[in-house]
Amino acid sequence: MKIEETPDDFQALETTGAVPPIPSSAEAMEMVGGPAPRLAIDNADLTQAELDLRAERETREVVTEGQALSPLQASMRRLGRDRRAMFFLAMVLIIIVMSYVGPLIYTHIGPNIMGGAAGLTPEVPSQYHNYVWTDLSRTDAPSSSLHWLGTDAIGRDLLARIMAGVNVSIEVALLVEILDISFGVAIGALAGFYGGWLATFLDRFTDLMFAFPGLLFAILAAATLGPAFQQKLGLPGRLVLVALALGISVWPFMARLVRGQTLQLREQQFIEASRTVGSSDSRIILSHIVPNLFNIVIVAAALDVVNTIVSEAVISLLGLGVQTPGSSLGLMINDAVSQIAINPWEVIWPTLVLTILVLAFSFMGDGIQDAFNPRTKD
Amino acid sequence: MDQILSNLPGLILAALIVAFLVYTGFRLGPRFLVRRVAGLVFVIFGVSLITFILGFFAPGDAVVNQLGVHYTKAGARALRHLYGLDQPGWIQYWNFLVRLVHFDLGISWADRSQTVWSILKQFVPVSATLGLSSLALAAILGIPLGMLAAVRANTRYDTVIQTFSLVFYAMPSFVIIPFYDLAIIWLASQGLPHLQVSGWGTWDTMTAPILITAINSFAGYLRFTRTSMIEVLRQDYVRTARAKGLSERLVLWRHAFRNALLPIITITGPSIGFVVTGLFITEDLFNIPGIGQESINAIVSRDFPVVQGTVILLAVSVALMNLATDVVYGMVDPRIKVS
Repeated sequence: MKIEETPDDFQALETTGAVPPIPSSAEAMEMVGGPAPRLAIDNADLTQAELDLRAERETREVVTEGQALSPLQASMRRLGRDRRAMFFLAMVLIIIVMSYVGPLIYTHIGPNIMGGAAGLTPEVPSQYHNYVWTDLSRTDAPSSSLHWLGTDAIGRDLLARIMAGVNVSIEVALLVEILDISFGVAIGALAGFYGGWLATFLDRFTDLMFAFPGLLFAILAAATLGPAFQQKLGLPGRLVLVALALGISVWPFMARLVRGQTLQLREQQFIEASRTVGSSDSRIILSHIVPNLFNIVIVAAALDVVNTIVSEAVISLLGLGVQTPGSSLGLMINDAVSQIAINPWEVIWPTLVLTILVLAFSFMGDGIQDAFNPRTKD
Repeated sequence: MDQILSNLPGLILAALIVAFLVYTGFRLGPRFLVRRVAGLVFVIFGVSLITFILGFFAPGDAVVNQLGVHYTKAGARALRHLYGLDQPGWIQYWNFLVRLVHFDLGISWADRSQTVWSILKQFVPVSATLGLSSLALAAILGIPLGMLAAVRANTRYDTVIQTFSLVFYAMPSFVIIPFYDLAIIWLASQGLPHLQVSGWGTWDTMTAPILITAINSFAGYLRFTRTSMIEVLRQDYVRTARAKGLSERLVLWRHAFRNALLPIITITGPSIGFVVTGLFITEDLFNIPGIGQESINAIVSRDFPVVQGTVILLAVSVALMNLATDVVYGMVDPRIKVS
């Protein structure tokens, strides 16, 4: 969120010091009698509430002067004002909806055709627009009205596989974040509140996971335990395993953040007040500490989603994640990359979609960070 | 004598590490050093135990894989005995720890003529070259640009830099590789001069992987430098420096930059430590004979001593770099006392 008090050029000059800063009227008044003059960089001395108020005046929204906003409401408004973040939030939502609703529609679009090796087997769109359907009579087809993005080396529809692959990315990310948040918040809050052996355990475990990067751990787990999981749970077993491994490797970092915040909260007056009126520990933790963790948790989770999506793609690209006939963007790149000179589109489509997905999520995360944790950036 | 000479690089490295530890001991105090070393021992124990358990329960049999068509019962038994695989799990792990104390990482399960050390010695330098040169490139380009963005904070120039750096920061570098491949294929088909798409060792194979790997960390450096410079430029001492009429260059580099360096050092230390694991995808797609590709091969072919070796090397290198980070902190900012 950027609020420009003075025109761009003036600020540039001020910070380089080439021209003495031109004080605004308020600043000039303060220079006469008030405290030290303000440096114009980024409204350094304003509180967030003041900044919000100003931003609202500029956008001619309802001015909320004198009206108390809860921190969550304030953050949501800040997010709503950030046009870039809203754009990418919408994009993320559209991608998610399209990847789930798209297959339902796509499997009903298209003519009934004759396919199969001899070209004599009747096929309907719900078959050849399914992401696992192979037809060796139409391999490496360019995009056409029949296969919108073409087909891969064994005649599977690329668009259908991309949508299934995006589903996988989303599902893994969701599962990892559920693990991350539940373990991170529970253990981080308890370790921060009570300290003791739990805090020591958390420290040691974080050290361990710091020296054992999540990706390597997940690759190792996927390679060694993957076959067993696949036997027990079928094809989704691999996904569950990858998500579990990634979740195990990220939660300590969330827990550390949460513990730091809890340590600060524990010393606040409202906790003391709550204790004075006789609240139990569990009540203090659940209704006073956990709600106050919301901001840092949502920011950390939003930023971590990107890592998870990339990690899943990497693991599948190495052939250790999702197995064929399942689909994943990484797997699609892996399948086609050796033929890139002959059929470039089979690599380009999944790569493009992965790029868009990652960028949309990271711009969204950036916006969420600005809105929910405005002091971390500038 | 020949043996000593052939191990010269290793000996020099070992001597450097010992010298560094002694220096650290003086600089930060022996108690601190002892605690760090104890932490390292714990981490090595932990990561090797995790790796061992995963390897122990993994399906597949390295001995059967290695013998292949030459499989006989007697041969398999002899090989199992050589690796100590005929013993119960906890004894295997104990033996591994005993060997580790003697700096012996064991023999590869995929090829009994190779020790894990020789494999690491062959593959790690390649990855380290790739990782360190791209990191250096990223720092050299990213830090000045980040400073420029901080000095011009909230101008149009800054907004553009911010947006592009977020794109580069978020985008996994491997998604660029297919497009690079296509560009090279097109250049080659037109008979124009071009770089290579795979291999390692010559400048035309090394340029692209280094540049593509550098993109991510370049954006990272840019963003960190910008944030940290903006923070510093708000401080009173910067205003004082300006007020007493120092030139802008002196203010920026002498007063602000030195203080802004701390967060940059914080991200640099571990990044240097992590180069010893290599890059899984970049090495795979460019077919670079680095440790990233080798450890994936080792994982897939159940060559667990090599995996163990990589993991332990990583733990040691991260720990050493963290220690180095603490020392450098003290040099850059004498106020910082590590405790």
